[in-house]
Amino acid sequence: MRKIWAVAVNTIKQALRMKIAAVFTVLLLILLPVMGFKMTGDGTLKGRLQTFVSYGLSLTSFLLCLFTIIASIYTLANDLSRRQIYTVLTKPIRRYQLILGKLLGIILLDTILLALFGGIIYAIAVNMPNFIKADEEQLTQVRNEFYTARASLKPAEQDVSADVEREFEKLKKNRQLPNGLEKNLGALRGYKGELRRRIELSKRAAPVGTELLWQFQNVKPQDPNQPLFVRFKYDVAVNPPDLAIYSRWLIGDDRQIRYGTGIKTPIYSIDRKDLIRTFYEIEVPADAVADDGYLVVAFLNVPLNDTVVIFPPEDGLELLYKADTFTANFVRAVILIGLRLIFLAALGLLAATFLSFAVAILLSLSVFLIANTSGFILESFEYVSENISGFYNYIFKSLIELMPQFDKFSASAFLVPGRLLSWSLLAKLALSTVCVKTVLLVLLAMFIFSRREVAKATV
Amino acid sequence: MEYAVETISLTKIFSDWWGRNKVCAVDDLNFKVQTNEVFGLLGPNGSGKTTTLKMLLGLLHPTKGKALCLGGDATDPKINTRIGFLPEESYLYRYLTAAETLDFYGRLFKLPTKVRKMRTDALLDMVGLKAVASRQVGAFSKGMARRIGLAQALINDPDLLILDEPTTGLDPIGTRQIKDLIIELAKRGKTILLCSHLLADVEDVCDRIAILYGGKIQAEGHVRDLLQRTDKTEITTGHLTHNALSKIEQIMDGEHAEYAVTSPMDKLETFFISIVEKARQQALPTSGAESKTQISDFLTAQAAEKARPAAILDKLVSTSVSSQPSGPAASPQTEQVHPVKTSKDMPADDLLRKLTEDAQPETVSSDREEPVQAQEDEQQAAGDNILDRLTGPSQPKEKQQQKDENGGDSSNA
Repeated sequence: MRKIWAVAVNTIKQALRMKIAAVFTVLLLILLPVMGFKMTGDGTLKGRLQTFVSYGLSLTSFLLCLFTIIASIYTLANDLSRRQIYTVLTKPIRRYQLILGKLLGIILLDTILLALFGGIIYAIAVNMPNFIKADEEQLTQVRNEFYTARASLKPAEQDVSADVEREFEKLKKNRQLPNGLEKNLGALRGYKGELRRRIELSKRAAPVGTELLWQFQNVKPQDPNQPLFVRFKYDVAVNPPDLAIYSRWLIGDDRQIRYGTGIKTPIYSIDRKDLIRTFYEIEVPADAVADDGYLVVAFLNVPLNDTVVIFPPEDGLELLYKADTFTANFVRAVILIGLRLIFLAALGLLAATFLSFAVAILLSLSVFLIANTSGFILESFEYVSENISGFYNYIFKSLIELMPQFDKFSASAFLVPGRLLSWSLLAKLALSTVCVKTVLLVLLAMFIFSRREVAKATV
Repeated sequence: MEYAVETISLTKIFSDWWGRNKVCAVDDLNFKVQTNEVFGLLGPNGSGKTTTLKMLLGLLHPTKGKALCLGGDATDPKINTRIGFLPEESYLYRYLTAAETLDFYGRLFKLPTKVRKMRTDALLDMVGLKAVASRQVGAFSKGMARRIGLAQALINDPDLLILDEPTTGLDPIGTRQIKDLIIELAKRGKTILLCSHLLADVEDVCDRIAILYGGKIQAEGHVRDLLQRTDKTEITTGHLTHNALSKIEQIMDGEHAEYAVTSPMDKLETFFISIVEKARQQALPTSGAESKTQISDFLTAQAAEKARPAAILDKLVSTSVSSQPSGPAASPQTEQVHPVKTSKDMPADDLLRKLTEDAQPETVSSDREEPVQAQEDEQQAAGDNILDRLTGPSQPKEKQQQKDENGGDSSNA
């Protein structure tokens, strides 16, 4: 262990004194405060905070990722090309210890830098209301929607397979299916897919005068005095003249009415007028939730409107409530960035065990970019790949899924909307990114490095 | 018996990307280095010396055969704790200071902090870099880097020291120091495997040598067996009076032997060191390494007792060594070899020669044959063409020596 530590300290000195770390540090030290004061977002305090935290964290994360890749590759590739490895490996140190030492050094340095920049961003974000004059309304808004860690509950996806089959049989019976559809398997699959989408959408759509109702279980706010939030966005079949929708919302425990048990918890009724295709949040006191964590949100498309109202899939409607503090959430978000860095450090070292500096950088950057855009790549291939499904499903997809999906879980995606990044989710990500993928990379790096000849042919 | 270094039909073939054999760098090499021996591996550039060392140290994998150090695999920490290695160039971390460099390598040996610090200081002092201990190694000259390289090879007080071209880039004082160090370490019972094409260095310190060419051993044996001349006698004395000299001449004439009376030349090395020593006594400033000719204390037996926890072991080593004299410096035969060398290494420069005569008290040595003749004989003794080309004395040098001979005679007569 002392040998590993010696290598780690040497690696840190290398990164610091070869001024690799200095470049990134100076850049961030200048950029972060400047961003804090110059970025105004949409002009409100909340917008300012969101823009700053989003850009600040993304930039920190990106630069530290680059730094990690460069430093980890440099530390090994340079030893090999400049042959310091000769004097090191002839000392009583095993090759795997050298790899572990370098990994430890990079991770320690990353931890220090991440703590430093995370601290700066946190300090600026928390003190932002002191820097600019914000009125009480804005302060309340950021307290509820930004300085918080809200858990999000989305309505359970309904299984519509039975509905699809029923609808399909009905069309078949009425001879409304296109000619020759059942003989062409591809076309049949496409037709049923279209049917499914239509039915799913109908479950999220409320024609004029009807209501939509969502049931939530296990709603457990951290503090019963803090409000709940219903976050929603409308889509419409036909644009209303003023692009606004009138609505009535009922939020509470509907079993009290349905079963006539008497009112124990209040049911809130709210009338609103909101623009379409814009996110809004309805604030509801937490006492609307029943003791067993049950809550219903009902939306009534009032006859004032003249169009079907649709809640888009994914983010059409969700229930938010404060589940933890902003500070704790911020710490977890920073740890999430740390997980990336650990993975990249292992990746860089692995690449450097068998590639030269330049090629190793190229490979690692490619993996980094793919990991950063994996969601987009998977989505686009999902769309075009119906005919190459075999190749796609077994090789390409599994390759991409081997990589961590950085874009799926980014730190600012949690902090900007004040979403809870729970310890359990973080642990799950740590397990897959670090415990499985990183360990695999490190083992592979150790294996390759233990086998290879470190000296070159000089004859 | 366990050998300090042993290779068993060691072969290294470098292949190209397609796996086709390209170069056979080392070809079925067998040699053994006994414990407490100074062994020299000689050969021209590209003869496979360094490749052999790299295989011994596990930096390259042999294509065939085995390379053993201290009876085992040199990548085994148990074995390489006892090995010191100086590569052909000092590959150092440019961003570390001299002291940090040694400290880092000391840590790899798990040396306790106190010992590490003591040795770092002692070694820096020994290689003359104490004044620049806190300067980054990247700013060092080649010779200074070489000195740090040597220091790192000694940080663990190794039993087996493997030196690849130890004197390249060093000034004569550094060269002399390394040679003294090698002899001193050999006295302490260490084994040294030396790889060089600077023949003078090898000749001065090695017990045994092997000459490598094309990855194969062309000649191997004890230096004194290979180089000693049994058909000549050399007498070195202090200053002789006219009277004594003419008596000797009478005896020689009576024997009808060919002979020459001359004052021996100093080696340029000796001269150079004396000049620098003088300058140092006048305390002239230098920006580079401060050379000293002392060996660091912890590498010699006495000081080790004070400094090292394993003092008992050290005592054992040192007493066993001093009771049985070994190494070239201690043996009587080598003393005969040295003067022969002295005649060979005569400086070419007239001015320098004059200076030498001024600086050094005159001594008289008698050689039964003309030095020119002696050199030719030595060439035959070496018996290797490549070696010849490397050592081959130039014509003008011989003439100068003859001139010198005459001058010496007249001054003595």
